[in-house]
Amino acid sequence: MLHMFVAQTKAESIRIIRSPFFLLFSIAMPLAFYFLFASMNGVDKSIKSTTWGVFSLMSMTAFSLIGTAVSQFGIRLSFEHQDGWVRLLKLTPLSPAVWIGSKIVSQMAVHLIVIVVIFLSAGLVHDIQLTAGQWILCGLWLWIGSISFLALGALLGTLKNANTSVAIGNVLQMGLAIVGGLWMPLSTLPSWMGSVGEWLPSHRYANGAWNMIAGQNPASIDFIILTGCGLLFMLLSIYIYNRRDAV
Amino acid sequence: MTKAIECINLVKKFGDYCAVDHMNLSFEQGQITALLGPNGAGKTTTISMILGMIKPTSGEVRVLGMPSGTKELRQRVGALLQDVKAADGLTVKEVLQLFRNYYRNPMSLERLLDISGLHGDVKRRASTLSGGQRRRLAFAQSLAGNPELLLLDEPTVGMDIEARGRFWDTIQALASDGRTVLLTTHHLEEADAVADHIAVIARGQVVAEGTPERLKAQTALRTVSFRAANAPAEQEWLTLPGVEKAECNGERIRLYAQETDVLLFTLMQSEWGISDIDIQSASLEDTFRSLTGSNKQAIIR
Repeated sequence: MLHMFVAQTKAESIRIIRSPFFLLFSIAMPLAFYFLFASMNGVDKSIKSTTWGVFSLMSMTAFSLIGTAVSQFGIRLSFEHQDGWVRLLKLTPLSPAVWIGSKIVSQMAVHLIVIVVIFLSAGLVHDIQLTAGQWILCGLWLWIGSISFLALGALLGTLKNANTSVAIGNVLQMGLAIVGGLWMPLSTLPSWMGSVGEWLPSHRYANGAWNMIAGQNPASIDFIILTGCGLLFMLLSIYIYNRRDAV
Repeated sequence: MTKAIECINLVKKFGDYCAVDHMNLSFEQGQITALLGPNGAGKTTTISMILGMIKPTSGEVRVLGMPSGTKELRQRVGALLQDVKAADGLTVKEVLQLFRNYYRNPMSLERLLDISGLHGDVKRRASTLSGGQRRRLAFAQSLAGNPELLLLDEPTVGMDIEARGRFWDTIQALASDGRTVLLTTHHLEEADAVADHIAVIARGQVVAEGTPERLKAQTALRTVSFRAANAPAEQEWLTLPGVEKAECNGERIRLYAQETDVLLFTLMQSEWGISDIDIQSASLEDTFRSLTGSNKQAIIR
């Protein structure tokens, strides 16, 4: 059982890291946007009692992790369904619990790698004023918070048509990032967008990290919305999977 | 000895469509059996029920003496399905090692590579293999657990003639280790070349069953077809000397017999008023077609 889990986790992690979409959309694009936004606005220019160089770093790491969870977990699940891979695995002794468990573990391992790579790249290029504790706490917040977006991915993965899944996944990822204030602060967006955005889990996800770099704690509403959405998506996807199995 | 597979009065309906219609099958262990039938005959549906992937509407399936789809069976049964794409991002070796990890008694990597002929491609990504190579990799995946029972759904689709021949040899070698193999095909020559036992499937039912020799015996039949002015009832046709099968196609009556001389003599002397006689030898293909075709008037003894 354990060696099956280890082997499956290793295989799932390799598949994510080797995916060209992962390198492009989870590493290259968020880093490019980070350096672009930071230099456009001025790395040392202040925003919300911190600087653009740090503020945008948190936003873009959050953006990368939302995308990684939605596409590498959610869209991949749809493809595996469509390609018959799920059907094939069901005929082997690999149990569904080990399979999905190994997917979650490998996904979380990859999320940790993403955080380290993006934080390191920014830290090496810009002089970022954060204490070691802040680096670690922000990293942990973003890492653990990404579970909510894995739940969103699981919900997306219930779609049997992979093309629909790709389309919805891209809209979700971009929509959550832009309206959630990850590209431009909410205050610079049209006011109707801002009033929607502040309730989005993506905004709450980044806001926790923004608070921490400004020396505060994440707001309780950050915890509530992030956990609530995560639980809701998780329950919905479990409900859909079970109902499908029963048919 | 427990049967490898037993299907008892198996029925599967999809809405109003009856894909499998009261099928009864029973296969011995250690044999190669072919489910032979045209597309849409219900072969894949039957395999899916044997594997426990879909539930029968009614009836029962027992595999190696157990109800289908149990955890224990997943250790002991290997399956090659249609339309499964290769895993992206993994090499040939990684895919095979991953699958070997699922089983308590896996087949060695060396043997899997020998069987699939992919020794030279171990480091290639599975998704970059050609169609035939992918099929061979999928076949090796189905063998990863060293299965006692192997179910192959249209295994040779996409293989060229040479690859097909090699594949048949491999199947025979696997069966000589005491494994049971069940494969589906719509190629008569394939079933004939590889199987110990053939079950011909049409419209969700078994229409003929037996060794290839027994089924081929029917192909040694000749046919006599003619018009008859006043033919008796159909049941009487089969009482004529040597007639094994009879069918009626519009005005023409067609009789199948091993030996036609006596039959012709009897016919000429009868009161049937026959004319326009035509004598032919039926091919294996003809027999297959008449068994599986939609001609409901075929009467098989």
